[in-house]
Amino acid sequence: MNNEAFAQLVDAHYAPLYRFALSLARNGSDAGDLVQQTFFIWATKGHGLRELSKAKSWLFTTLYREFLRGRRRDSRSSSLEDLPPGERDPAAEDIDRVSRIDSALVMSALQSVEETFRAPLTLFYLEDMSYQQIADTLEVPIGTVMSRLSRGKAQLRLALERTDPSAKIVPFPGTKENTAS
Amino acid sequence: MTLQEAKFILSSYRPNGSDSGSAAFGDALRMAGEDPVLGAWFARSRELDTAVAAKLAQIAPPPGLREAILAGARVGESHRKRGPAWGWMGGLAAAAALVIGLFSLRVPVRPVQPSIPSSAQVAPIAVFAIDDMVHGKHGGSGEPASALVARLETKGSAIPTGAEIGFDKLKATGCRTISWQGEDMIEVCFVRDGTLFHLYVLRRPGPGDDDAVGGPFYLEQAAGSAASWSDSHFDYALASTAGVAAIRKLLL
Repeated sequence: MNNEAFAQLVDAHYAPLYRFALSLARNGSDAGDLVQQTFFIWATKGHGLRELSKAKSWLFTTLYREFLRGRRRDSRSSSLEDLPPGERDPAAEDIDRVSRIDSALVMSALQSVEETFRAPLTLFYLEDMSYQQIADTLEVPIGTVMSRLSRGKAQLRLALERTDPSAKIVPFPGTKENTAS
Repeated sequence: MTLQEAKFILSSYRPNGSDSGSAAFGDALRMAGEDPVLGAWFARSRELDTAVAAKLAQIAPPPGLREAILAGARVGESHRKRGPAWGWMGGLAAAAALVIGLFSLRVPVRPVQPSIPSSAQVAPIAVFAIDDMVHGKHGGSGEPASALVARLETKGSAIPTGAEIGFDKLKATGCRTISWQGEDMIEVCFVRDGTLFHLYVLRRPGPGDDDAVGGPFYLEQAAGSAASWSDSHFDYALASTAGVAAIRKLLL
């Protein structure tokens, strides 16, 4: 691949890859490193990919693999899918809340979703990938993707509720509420 | 299909309608059209998904990330082909841009004197040397290392080069060896005029690579300073916390 074609590939994908990495790594520095590492692998391994239409999927899969390789696995990860979904239907105030708050707070809420659910959820939102494409990228079965999306969305709604700076604080019964004059 | 099953399936439905033709959603979509409760849930769900996606799309990558990626790829390419085809100067510029990009979030690079080449011309080995000097575990002993240290510490003596560096002996007898970009590099620490210096030596792929000869190039960062240069046998970096002036004085 010549330099110009490579630059075009970078231009097309580095921003969404960074957002994906940011949701996974939870900090900008590590996210930048992950994106650089992903393109570095593309450049150094010769990638052997003849069909550029598959480049996007290759890049996201590679970044995810690099993330998994770099972070320490802990015992909680394997049991996450046994957790109850914490289902709560989306309400009108959820939509208002998201429209009102800063994008960084939305990202912060997304970053607080459990990692197992966060990766498919991020691809769903950031890259508008179909469940099939997400399954291919993360190398998990389709049913698993659907399950993780459903549960991830429920977690995200709860996280957004907690993140909202204008959320009302309900005074504990029996205490006096401070009022501004 | 129950209400919960329909919700489960529709959670994977993209809010922009891209999945409207997918058979996997057919039954659930039909049910949402017939059941007002499910229909209302689905409408709110899509609206929320659209709002979240729009907010997340506003997150911008940090400045300089694109340039660091492009430079990094060129470094990878040059490392594979390491040799005269790419040349020293071009390789250094791209490599330095990459490594500086990698470190820029942690170690701010401050400008050096105008007469000194800009940081873009500095070899990545210099950036590595400063980082290793600050964070590495230093040490090393053995006769060849001691002899080299003694020579380095002799006031007025020149830095040994090329064939004067007994690389294999140094490596075998306890001088510190570091793996850098998959290749062995030795480090020797010495004191000259009361200043501690760290000399890093990386063997080049083969002799006679005259295109690769160049430097010294100087780099000054908040954590320390370094110079890098190359002869036909080795790449070198000399790092110190004493500043560029102290390094230049030693190399002159």
